[in-house]
Amino acid sequence: MVGFIILAAVMLAGGIGVVTFRQPVHAALSLVATLLALAVTYVTLQAHFLAAIQVIVYAGAIMVLFLFVIMLLNVEGQQPAPHLQWLPPLAYLTALLVAAGITVTAFVDRSPLPAADQVAALQGGSAEQVGTALFSHYVLAFQLVGVLLLTGIVGAVSLAQRGGGVRGERRLQESPAETELSHG
Amino acid sequence: MVPTPYYIALSALLMSIGAVGVLTRRSAIMVFLSVELMLNAANLAIVAFARQWSAKGVEAAMSGQAAVFIILAIAAAEVAVGLGILVAIFRNRVSTDVDELSEVRL
Repeated sequence: MVGFIILAAVMLAGGIGVVTFRQPVHAALSLVATLLALAVTYVTLQAHFLAAIQVIVYAGAIMVLFLFVIMLLNVEGQQPAPHLQWLPPLAYLTALLVAAGITVTAFVDRSPLPAADQVAALQGGSAEQVGTALFSHYVLAFQLVGVLLLTGIVGAVSLAQRGGGVRGERRLQESPAETELSHG
Repeated sequence: MVPTPYYIALSALLMSIGAVGVLTRRSAIMVFLSVELMLNAANLAIVAFARQWSAKGVEAAMSGQAAVFIILAIAAAEVAVGLGILVAIFRNRVSTDVDELSEVRL
């Protein structure tokens, strides 16, 4: 229980940092802290393979991509006054209410859940276990995810091509000076 | 063993923090980071439920973890496409302020 409280504190602090830090780099590093704490939480939930994947894919690959783009775009931490003044307080209030509602429901209504007396079936959530489930019952989803990743790669490459896409060409014809300026 | 409702409560809190970020931040990158936070909150809930349902056997236990694995792959694809869109937007117009990107709006 003590370990869970420590992990929850780290995750919540990291999450609040993501929302409140002005510099995008600080927010991204704060999210890395959250993701690493989440990986440790996966270990406590008998999902060892997912913990490893979380560190490698999320805290590794995806966050490195984020940091690359943040440094490439050179976005500064300016946070101008919000367009709608009433939005932030309302957003905080709504989020608090939703979280409180879900928490109360989770603690009060536990009727459909089976008693978690034997966790032995998870067997540590090893790669073998997850792989068996993936390649027997969920093989169609696995294949579809492969197609999705391929589509994503093609889309990302075509989006990131310099001057690529219909819209970029149209802009180039409209105002070459401005486009060159933004190209840096 | 920590009971499952504690994990669900933590997941709900993380999800709401991410929603606040999506609603209040104006830079598109920050909105994107908050969406990642929400995705991970959902994953935490799924893994916690997978442990709870492991009493029903290996099949039920592993379904949740396989689902989280697929969600991770989808998140990776989403980040690749989303960051590509961000770079393309930033190239056409120097700002990534989501309040100014309102051309799709009817």
